Amino acid sequence: MTAPQDSERVSSLRELPQAIEPARDLWPQIEARLNSIQAAAPAASGATIPLRRSGARLRWLAAAAMVASVAVGVWIGRSLLPGSSGPLSAARQPPAITGAANPVSSQATAADVAYVNDPRYQRQRAALLRSLQAQLATMPPETRDKVKTSLAAIEKAKEDLEQALGKDPGNALLQELLVNTYQDEMRVLTDVHEASNSGRGI
Amino acid sequence: MTHAQVENTRVDWEGALVQRACAGDTRAFERLYREHSGRVYGLCLRMTRDAQLAEDCTQDTFINAWRALPKFETRSSLSTWLHRIAVNVSLAKRRKSTPVEPAAEDKEAGAPGEWTLETPVEVREIETAIGELPEGARDALVLHALYGYSHVEAAQMLGIAEGTCKAQLHRARKLLRERLGVEVN
Repeated sequence: MTAPQDSERVSSLRELPQAIEPARDLWPQIEARLNSIQAAAPAASGATIPLRRSGARLRWLAAAAMVASVAVGVWIGRSLLPGSSGPLSAARQPPAITGAANPVSSQATAADVAYVNDPRYQRQRAALLRSLQAQLATMPPETRDKVKTSLAAIEKAKEDLEQALGKDPGNALLQELLVNTYQDEMRVLTDVHEASNSGRGI
Repeated sequence: MTHAQVENTRVDWEGALVQRACAGDTRAFERLYREHSGRVYGLCLRMTRDAQLAEDCTQDTFINAWRALPKFETRSSLSTWLHRIAVNVSLAKRRKSTPVEPAAEDKEAGAPGEWTLETPVEVREIETAIGELPEGARDALVLHALYGYSHVEAAQMLGIAEGTCKAQLHRARKLLRERLGVEVN
């Protein structure tokens, strides 16, 4: 529905536009404030993520996750998508602080989603999942529960997204979210794997 | 795809974004901002009548929403939730600059959400007339007649009694009728 112009006549108050665009893009300032909040209270923001990283025993996991995140990104970029500057790499980057609108349709392509079907990715994931059970057994119950909760949340998100994509297969945003969710899963699996192999325990 | 399917997809889509934003993904939150900022800003602008103040309110609304996002239940409407925050922020900002206006209650039964004009009026003219209404009457009118909230919902958002909300609507209707020179039904 097109919003009526100022000179247009309306016969009901409901015909007035509910949305009015501000004269400037407010997102850059909002994003800057969000970043300040996150920087000022990393513990508070960490409390909301699926894998809670509170407690001294888990502090190392944040660093490991960062390394794993980069490793997974590089691995995917090198081995699965021709050219590491492809759309998946773009999807991995933090949001740019620009005034431009961020159209959903330009962010992801079918190639983003296709990588999860790549045999090499599937093998890697299967191997990590196989070793996960043994690794879980060595963890303290509290940590084990957190990892399980985290993976369950990721699994649920994948199911929801795949269901939504079933209804709207061309939705680039859903495709991108699905890719991000698979990456989250890979990150958690890699973190657990590396933590166990380092001999430090969790 | 039917309208209901489109709506379901939209809700799924929004739920997925909320989940990601809860996990600290500011990019997902930006998508939510892009989806809702126009309506939030429109509400703030109509409540404050000041573009700069409305921009501040819009920013604060999304900052508060970010902080409270883990408490948001995805089964409810994100739009309504954001509007509640926007109303609170706008009222708080406004209270700093203007005294709270006392509102008299009366027995006005309230009107249905659809406010029609006997004769069509230019958008500019009616927006000006709404902007010139006293704050209490304007708030109730904007939430009820423009954004479609019920008396109860509008009263809850504004932190006033339902009867007060109805009285404010009655007053708004009377003043609009006088200023526009047309019957408001």
